[in-house]
Amino acid sequence: MSVLMAAPSVPTARDLELLLMTTDVTPEPAAEQSVDDVRALFEEQALQYMDQLYAAAMRMTKNPADAADLVQETFVKAYTAFGQFQQGTNLKAWLYRIQTNTFINNYRKNQRNPYQGTIDDLEDWQLGGAESVTQSLSTRSAEAEAIDHLPDSAVKDALQSIPEDFRLAVYFADVEGFSYQEIADIMKTPVGTVMSRLHRGRRMLREKLADYARDRGIAVPTTGSTK
Amino acid sequence: MTDCGCDKAKAELEEYIHNELTVGEAADIAEHMENCDDCSGEHLVGLTLTLKVKQACNEKAPEDLKAEVLTKLRELQTS
Repeated sequence: MSVLMAAPSVPTARDLELLLMTTDVTPEPAAEQSVDDVRALFEEQALQYMDQLYAAAMRMTKNPADAADLVQETFVKAYTAFGQFQQGTNLKAWLYRIQTNTFINNYRKNQRNPYQGTIDDLEDWQLGGAESVTQSLSTRSAEAEAIDHLPDSAVKDALQSIPEDFRLAVYFADVEGFSYQEIADIMKTPVGTVMSRLHRGRRMLREKLADYARDRGIAVPTTGSTK
Repeated sequence: MTDCGCDKAKAELEEYIHNELTVGEAADIAEHMENCDDCSGEHLVGLTLTLKVKQACNEKAPEDLKAEVLTKLRELQTS
């Protein structure tokens, strides 16, 4: 489905902003806590995030079997540590912290990534370039429309192809709507690094999606640069 | 009020999109974009990118995973 189509007939930036607004309300805590109550509380509060954690796990591990294992491990750890969770704070962010930690400790070390640990220090050209993305697009609205018409699979492929730390920053900010500070806590990195990863990740994504659109001849005029 | 200009608007657009600016800062950017097609176009591309990513990643966990997790939690409780 097209996001621009989902908005009123002539979409404005304001309509898109409204579509992005979400609310995350953690249910009220129960007063008494027997073992049964704790499990019931956990099931009531935490299990609702399984779809989101699974979607994130797919972006992390890139395959359904590992994603399922990661989610299961996350819930087991979260359940075991649930006594340490402070009711009233952001449960979703807490679950994401556990999942991201688990992923980094268990899965990432098995992946071969020659840049691991230094990705933030690399220049854009070393990562395959993310220079002027709009060079051959005639207008910004043409670019927005081209991106809007891309299939979900193209967006996911593009996401999978950018460096992991950038991908996760984009995921946490754009899919989950976490604040920079929350992302910094989840990724255990300074807010400045979050900003840099997010900006660079989105720039790379934008370039890949524009390339994808052009390759398929999707209504992207190639003459007349805006600059 | 004086227009904050394209340089400032473009520099802060990502933070504007991600709701990381103060109300005052955001108002300055919004005011500039009212009168600047280039920056408002950048804003539209940025928002479209966010919405497409959000939409593409809207996945459901498999039903058997839900069942497995519930079983696991109950095992943990009784052990």
